[in-house]
Amino acid sequence: MILDIKKVNKVYPNGCRALNNVSFNVKKGEFLVIIGLSGSGKSTMLRCLNRLHDVTDGEIVFEGQDITKLKGKAMRNARARIGMIFQHFNLIPRKTVMTNVLSGTLSRTGVFKSILGVYSEEDKKKAQDYIKIVGLEGKENARADNLSGGQQQRVAIARALMQDPKVLLADEPVASLDPATSHSVMQYLKKVNEELGVTIICNLHFLSLVRQYASRVVALKGGQLIYEGNPLDIDENWFKTIYGEEAVEVTIN
Amino acid sequence: MSASSEASNLNAPKDFSGILVKKHLIAFFIDTLLWSYTALVSWKVIYEKVILGLRYPKFDWSQPQTALLVGALIALVLYFTSASLGRAITGLLKRDESKPVMRETYTFLVLFVVFLTFVAGIRISQVSVTEFLSESGLHGAKRIFTALINPNWGIIEDATFAAIETIYMAFIATIVALPMAFVLAFFAARNLMSGSRLTMAIYTTVRFVLNVSRSIEPLVWAIIFSVWVGIGPFAGMLALCLHSVSSLSKLYSEQIENVSNGPIEAMMATGAHPVQVIWFGVVPQIVLPYLSFTIYRWDINVRMATVIGLVGGGGIGTMLMQYQGLAKWNEVGMLVIVIAVIVWLMDWLSSRIREAIK
Repeated sequence: MILDIKKVNKVYPNGCRALNNVSFNVKKGEFLVIIGLSGSGKSTMLRCLNRLHDVTDGEIVFEGQDITKLKGKAMRNARARIGMIFQHFNLIPRKTVMTNVLSGTLSRTGVFKSILGVYSEEDKKKAQDYIKIVGLEGKENARADNLSGGQQQRVAIARALMQDPKVLLADEPVASLDPATSHSVMQYLKKVNEELGVTIICNLHFLSLVRQYASRVVALKGGQLIYEGNPLDIDENWFKTIYGEEAVEVTIN
Repeated sequence: MSASSEASNLNAPKDFSGILVKKHLIAFFIDTLLWSYTALVSWKVIYEKVILGLRYPKFDWSQPQTALLVGALIALVLYFTSASLGRAITGLLKRDESKPVMRETYTFLVLFVVFLTFVAGIRISQVSVTEFLSESGLHGAKRIFTALINPNWGIIEDATFAAIETIYMAFIATIVALPMAFVLAFFAARNLMSGSRLTMAIYTTVRFVLNVSRSIEPLVWAIIFSVWVGIGPFAGMLALCLHSVSSLSKLYSEQIENVSNGPIEAMMATGAHPVQVIWFGVVPQIVLPYLSFTIYRWDINVRMATVIGLVGGGGIGTMLMQYQGLAKWNEVGMLVIVIAVIVWLMDWLSSRIREAIK
């Protein structure tokens, strides 16, 4: 078990209750997918795991340590061990692919060194390798914001891998991509999961993708955990419980 | 989100009466101000100055107080009629949607107040057609214009040197202001400073100081500095610099407030230090707009430096002031041409550079 989420609650300052007593755990090496409607608390859940948001109460135990109370350097260390990719890629605009990938090493590069752009030879070599792994060899010096959506998401994956993450959080990584590119990005995540042994926690919309890639699924509705189990066990009834009576399943191929 | 709508529904009835009382107070306050203003202007300007033709009507503080009282009374009487502008603005007045806004009673009231202000304005600005078209006045204007279009080309060297002084002065003012504004802008950006009460206090203080220093004209600063460091380009440079810091900080901080949150979030997620988050998440998003603002500021500073020269800030403005004082209109004509050429050149250059770096 790599992550243990214990009775987590999150109430935003405006009074919105995004997470309500959510408990589940994440096993080492699995590909866990979180599903649910927009506004069900999926994004908030992921952001609580790496402290982009602070939980209101509850515990998140990551590698044997409760990370919800960490501050400063200790919190940044925990963040560094958890990579994250986003729906809108969130690359640094106007910078090259190489600079973007190297920004994954910020937590172990000194502030002044990073501002001057001085990275260790080892990190540069590693960045080169990861760029190769995500299939962007030769694009090192291209401006990241000139790449296609799928390529940008792969740069983001390489950046996250630079952190040597134990866990990779993916917040709707394919929601702004076309179906073909979606599969390609999901394949890369699968490769990261299987070949590099990184645990993946991924928010997804499409059940067809969930069945294809997830090793386990949890479902959130209105901030509460309502399903936990095998992706292949989600039948018509469960689907309607999670997405509402009127929902019709859409597949993407 | 269902949870949030539930929460707001629960809170709504509790706050409602409080908001209503506040709205009525604001509405009545607006009405009172409007009527007091109308009463005061009608009495002091329209009646005493225009109708009675008094040049210096007597004034004491009981008069505005009386006007305020009269205004409050009228506002009270008309508060529940459709002539209440305050109720219309705060949305308390339920109006018939099919009736055009232009036909509402309060619209006529507003138009009337604008007309009243117009009449009073003409009287106070001492607008006079006879002065404008008087024979001696036209003669003087003709003399100056003739001299201006016959510039004295003999001083073109001096004029050019003075203009160069002005451009350098503006350049130094901009360059010195830049790093200060760069740093201050981060403290004046709401999105970066809204974290805790302490940072919010810093934000408020910085904003306040910037607003105050910006609202004082560079011309006034130039006068202050010319006493401080002596008349000359240095005083002008300091005045421009100070004003540039506050203006640039504001423009920069607005740019910071508009950056997209995505890269910031991504940098935080890597475990970066807050300084690194700003350097990698914020700075790349603002560099080009900053550069563009800065060049534009230099352009503005060149124009302002000319004006500042008039109060002894050095450069071509001071030269203009001297020749104007001696009524040497041919020389003034030359200087006007040099200034026009420089302003035009700077304008063209800065817009070209800004276009290129977009």
